[in-house]
Amino acid sequence: MDSTIKTLVRYEWKAFVRNKFQLIMLVVTFLFGLYAIYYGQSEINAQRNTINAVTAIEHEEFSTYKASFTEEMETIEQEQTHDIASRPAYAWFRHGYHAILPPHDFAPLAIGQRDLFRYYYRLTGMSLHYQLFENELANPVNLMAGNFDLSFVLIYLFPLVIIAFCYGLYSSDKEGGTLALLLIQSVSMRKITLVRLTFYFVLITGLALLLSLVGILSSGSFVADENLMPGLAWLVGVVVYCAFWFGLLYFVISFRKSSSFNAISAAGCWLFLLIVIPSMLNVIVTTMYPLNSATLAGLTRRTGLENENDEKEVKKVIREFLAHKPELAASDSLIENNMLAKAYAAFTSLKDINNQHEVDHYNAQVAKRNTWTSRFHWLSPSVNMQDVFTHIVETDLTTFLHYQDALVRFHGNISEFYFNRLFWDKPLVRADYENLPSFSMKQQSDRWETVWLGLGKVLLAAVLVFTLGFIKMKGGIKQ
Amino acid sequence: MQLLFLIIKKEILIALRERLVLALGSIIVILLGVALYAGYLTYQQQEAIISQTQNEKRQEWLGQGDKHPHIAAHYGTFVFKPKTVLSLFDFGLDAYTGTSVYLEAHYQHEFMFRPAQDHSSMIRFGELSAALVLQVLVPLLIIFLSFASYTHERERGTLKLLLSQGVSFQTLTWGKILAYSIILIVILSPFMIGIAILSFTGVQHEALQQVEARVILLYGVYGLYLFFFISFSVWISLRSSTGRNALLTLLSCWILLVILMPKTVANFSESIYTLPSMREFKAAIDKDKANGLDGKTPRSVRMVNLTNEYLEKYQVDSVEQLPFNFEGVSMQAGEEYGNMVYDHHLEKLQNIFHKQNRLSSIASLFNPFLAVQHLSMGLSGTDIHTFIHFEDEVEAYRRALVRKMNNDMAENSKYGEFFGYKAGEDLWKQIDDFSYQTPTVKELLSHYKLELISIGLWTAMMVLLIHYTNRKMRPLHG
Repeated sequence: MDSTIKTLVRYEWKAFVRNKFQLIMLVVTFLFGLYAIYYGQSEINAQRNTINAVTAIEHEEFSTYKASFTEEMETIEQEQTHDIASRPAYAWFRHGYHAILPPHDFAPLAIGQRDLFRYYYRLTGMSLHYQLFENELANPVNLMAGNFDLSFVLIYLFPLVIIAFCYGLYSSDKEGGTLALLLIQSVSMRKITLVRLTFYFVLITGLALLLSLVGILSSGSFVADENLMPGLAWLVGVVVYCAFWFGLLYFVISFRKSSSFNAISAAGCWLFLLIVIPSMLNVIVTTMYPLNSATLAGLTRRTGLENENDEKEVKKVIREFLAHKPELAASDSLIENNMLAKAYAAFTSLKDINNQHEVDHYNAQVAKRNTWTSRFHWLSPSVNMQDVFTHIVETDLTTFLHYQDALVRFHGNISEFYFNRLFWDKPLVRADYENLPSFSMKQQSDRWETVWLGLGKVLLAAVLVFTLGFIKMKGGIKQ
Repeated sequence: MQLLFLIIKKEILIALRERLVLALGSIIVILLGVALYAGYLTYQQQEAIISQTQNEKRQEWLGQGDKHPHIAAHYGTFVFKPKTVLSLFDFGLDAYTGTSVYLEAHYQHEFMFRPAQDHSSMIRFGELSAALVLQVLVPLLIIFLSFASYTHERERGTLKLLLSQGVSFQTLTWGKILAYSIILIVILSPFMIGIAILSFTGVQHEALQQVEARVILLYGVYGLYLFFFISFSVWISLRSSTGRNALLTLLSCWILLVILMPKTVANFSESIYTLPSMREFKAAIDKDKANGLDGKTPRSVRMVNLTNEYLEKYQVDSVEQLPFNFEGVSMQAGEEYGNMVYDHHLEKLQNIFHKQNRLSSIASLFNPFLAVQHLSMGLSGTDIHTFIHFEDEVEAYRRALVRKMNNDMAENSKYGEFFGYKAGEDLWKQIDDFSYQTPTVKELLSHYKLELISIGLWTAMMVLLIHYTNRKMRPLHG
């Protein structure tokens, strides 16, 4: 480092330390960051508690079933429990399995859509669509206000801190009368501005990284296999995003206008990137792809056989269902046993089979919207960054769409497990409880592609604004 | 008086010379136009979908064929949340409240499908509505327009000149404030008229009561809010030594009021008053339905009590001898007990919502932005209170429907013959189609007293403060 840079940094440091307002601002931002981390963790912990409670209920349910195989039957209740445990005619719609989407360790840092979607479902063999659409309890007012999590602090507040620190880097010297003194030095104005900008970049990005590290280390182990990559990507994201804003400020400064002009322009950019562009894209996508959830609502209707006593109708329903299931087709010979239970199982499955295309169509529309909006992310690095953060910690829309798909598969497994026994007249035995269906979700292969691509876009934007500023700043002494 | 007009004229001329302000002004005009157009499109699209689907469901209910009334009560029907015409102005909570609900016997279903679930996380940045422009962006335009109103004169030395000409601070300050108000009125009036025309003529099946009164109140609320921001900005400029300081102070206030505080308050209320999960909520209801609210009268005991009560009342030995079908009576009794249990738990839940919202109402005393946000949603019929009112109406409709079915079964069928009796379209027709009317303006505003006080107080305080500061200002310091 040559001596001029050292001198510049030393004086900038002095100016920084002496400015109470700036110091307070950094402290306040840091405190906001800590609160955001705390808030995110309390939200996600509440979800974890719900998940634990729900898992405990399921565990208890199945332990009583298992126990009923070995217990002496004394009361009617015990016998009823054993019936539910061993007879598929009851079990298929009584046994409830929880499909849980556990939060990623770092989900507290960017809650994303996690407060809006359900992350646990209790599924039985009954019609999937009857069980799928109910919402979690939430106060719509708070949903609209959104979450004060670390991603909010980084994406909304840090740009403001950067603006507050840098908008006067050139103009305040001009207005304070010190510019002439700087210009007669042998160092170029471009270099001076660059060094000062770098000084604040290190300072503020350092603060953002510090907050992120606090968040990461207090939310989970950084070195665990599944966390290492997300943790690193997060930190890279923080640096790139800060770099973009510093680049933008450099560009604004390079016009060599007054402090007020710089502040207004920078605040205007902030407004555009964080409020105008995303809110505009949102209304455009809403009007371009209108969605009609009303058609899906109809699927939740609880209907049954028109008349259970009409044997012809009952058999017709069962046969129609068996036609869809080659592996069960031969069980037709057993149709007389447990006929009503079979008919209901067949009825609700047929309903799902006949309606699945509507759900698929709807989800495809949602995915289409998602693709459309992601095509315009480059318009605002802030929106892009939010998307990257939620992708890193798996709180994005895509995760929930995948979860929906996994639910469909899981429900298929549950139905298959019970229907194989119900239609073939096989009782459930104790050993079956060791091979119960269990929920699993496939890893999304394209997640990291989206993350790196998004980061690349922000980086590109950063390079672009910085280069523009660099070129514009070149001009010599124009007073 | 003449001086005042001169100052107003001068301020307007200066503002028109500022290219940055002109650019921002035009952007706001464009955004308002886009927002209103998109709002209108969404309103029309959703309104068409909702009334069409509602109609389909009505036909399904009427055409469900002959069946036992209790099966019909399970077949049930659907209700969809209507779009109010003023939602084209303020989307409010529309993206976050559920939009449809299934009504059937025994169960109170939750509302399904929050429209925000059909969006990526970008939806959390907000949707561009005319209300957003007026609440968030126009104040910023005001700040940019007026932060230098005094500091500029001070820095250039024109303030001393003006004062030496005998202009008082009172005239000068009010002249500036009036000038900015006129500029805003000119920019915004076409849209104000547009909103009025759209909402008075675009009405088809309107759920919103007293649209005219609501629109006028909206004008009033936004007028006060923007006037507050204008006088606040001019006041800060009056008190600041440099334009840079005035701008920084104003921007910090804007960020605090518009960005930081609303989120913090909402999150805070969420942390203090925690909601149960849906699973807990439902489990508690199921438990109380099975064991009784007191935990000591299970379903079987309640059934025996009811039977004995009826046998005694009609002086018969068995339920078969009753002059009506006892199954219908017991079904309805079970329904009513279920309703009682549900009401008990719902009240607890709504209490939590109420406390959470109360906190943000109190916060609005300290933040005119929150006050305007709440009032605007309320008047547009897209707020939480209108939604809760809607939910209650829907539940009342469900109960009336189920009661009608159970009573019909008690009167017209025989004990034990579940599949023997069938009702038909005549009975289905006796259930009126669901139609919703929002609370009246008076009922609505009773929820928003604090907000009204807030907006009034802030404006009054600002006027007094300016008056006081004007008197205290000494030309020497200028």
